[in-house]
Amino acid sequence: MRKYAVIYRSILMENLQYAMNVIMGFITYFMIVFILMQLWNYMYSNPADLIAGYSRQQMIWYVMITETIWFGTRTATVTNQVTADIKGGNIAYLMNKPYHYTLYILTKYTGEWSIRLPIYAVFAAAVGVIMVGRLPDFHIITLLAAIPSVILGITIQGVFKLCISLISFWIEDSNPFQWIYDKLILVIGTIFPVEIFPETLQPLLKLTPIYTVCYGPAKLLVDFQMDKYLEILLAQVLYLGLGILLMFFLYGKGVKKLYVNGG
Amino acid sequence: MITKINMSKRINTITTVKNQLQVCMLSVKYNIMRGMLNRVTFLTNIIFMMLNNAAFLIQWIILFRLKEDIGGYTLREVMLQWALSASSYGLAHLLFARVFSLSELIINGKLDSYLVQPKNVLLGVMTSATSTSSIGDLLYGLCILCIFCFSFRNLLLFLLFTVTGATILTAYALLMGSFSFWFVRADMVGNNLVSSMVNFSTYPDGIFKGAVKFLLYLIIPTGMSIYLPVHLMVNFDVGQLFIVLGFMFLLLTAAIFTFYRGLRRYSSSNLMNART
Repeated sequence: MRKYAVIYRSILMENLQYAMNVIMGFITYFMIVFILMQLWNYMYSNPADLIAGYSRQQMIWYVMITETIWFGTRTATVTNQVTADIKGGNIAYLMNKPYHYTLYILTKYTGEWSIRLPIYAVFAAAVGVIMVGRLPDFHIITLLAAIPSVILGITIQGVFKLCISLISFWIEDSNPFQWIYDKLILVIGTIFPVEIFPETLQPLLKLTPIYTVCYGPAKLLVDFQMDKYLEILLAQVLYLGLGILLMFFLYGKGVKKLYVNGG
Repeated sequence: MITKINMSKRINTITTVKNQLQVCMLSVKYNIMRGMLNRVTFLTNIIFMMLNNAAFLIQWIILFRLKEDIGGYTLREVMLQWALSASSYGLAHLLFARVFSLSELIINGKLDSYLVQPKNVLLGVMTSATSTSSIGDLLYGLCILCIFCFSFRNLLLFLLFTVTGATILTAYALLMGSFSFWFVRADMVGNNLVSSMVNFSTYPDGIFKGAVKFLLYLIIPTGMSIYLPVHLMVNFDVGQLFIVLGFMFLLLTAAIFTFYRGLRRYSSSNLMNART
């Protein structure tokens, strides 16, 4: 475990040097959130309306939180780096290091979002308070309680994206699969809470990563309920366990297919 | 005698332009052929890009379940907007993908190999890369048009506005990228603005109000590349068509001028690289 802590610390220090890049990336975040704010403002023609049980403020804050998680964890480590390592053959060198390659990538990913996410969260909170107003019935204790769920959601996201990247062992370019996964999360997960979908579809959506990555953490921050909290945490722990098993399975199968051509 | 000289000059100019265009087309053709070396990856890229775009259908179906019209648009018009947006983006990235990473070439001093080639520098840079997945965007746009609002008139207008939209997007990316000749951090601002142009293009302009609308027509020209063309496809107006065409030529001229002004400031990084 200590070697992963050292990796984490070095990535953290490295990313602190590039905090300015994260701040510049906030322009895109702001633009997207601004568009979605305008969209939901339009959808709530009467500000007192409720859509799927959400008020206008809750809905916009929900979108802002999911987008913050999305942007705060968007790094190329679990996607492009893994694909490039496999495609370029660098994996042959990395797999002989005294760590497990997938855990090394996950540690690096954690080091990166540890810097990005708090920066995005602070900016997002400022934008939210200025443009939408305070989130109704929000207490600091809600934030503290939701933090484990946010961390679990982000880790699940990293594990699943890494699993998709490992497909590169079989198909040269795994990017098209990443697009589909990203769209599943972005289009369905970040813009709409699960309750907005027809009731027949809701149980199905609870089985997808949308529930554990986006909906869970955002729902807890917007509308905290203890029974929901336990349900979401349980689903996340199960999801993470399955995801890690799948990740080790894919990696184990993949490295057996590896051909080293020398050089 | 003077008429003969003028004629021969004109023929020379036409031949030069023809040759330049031929070289550009060949460059794009070889880029695509390179992408086709791995057939499975090539086809997966195209098909999955179409599926990727189709995912947004779910978003709009859900939104239209909540409200009958959004920003004055029905589902048919939103789909038309999506089709035009995807096709313009696809065409721009199919022919001129390198423009979207121009800043990187400038900042890292990688323009040398283009400067020494016996053809137009800008055209050489612009056509030196192709994004194969953009074929999926282009096809998706055409498919959506055929499914939701096909007519011969719509098809002709759609093809025209795909070209104007792609030209405006490319010119805007070229303009933003060219600022890197002067400012190091310009790439970050430029990339953000170009991606904002794409993001705004998939939502109806009716949801934006006041100064934002003004911004969307002049600072981030999504209005001229997508919104106005969609309005024109619904209600045709010759005057507005000329506004779109005029804006396109103006932006293109400004972008080309900025690129060549900036090129005077370019300094090589003495990297050894070759283009074959």
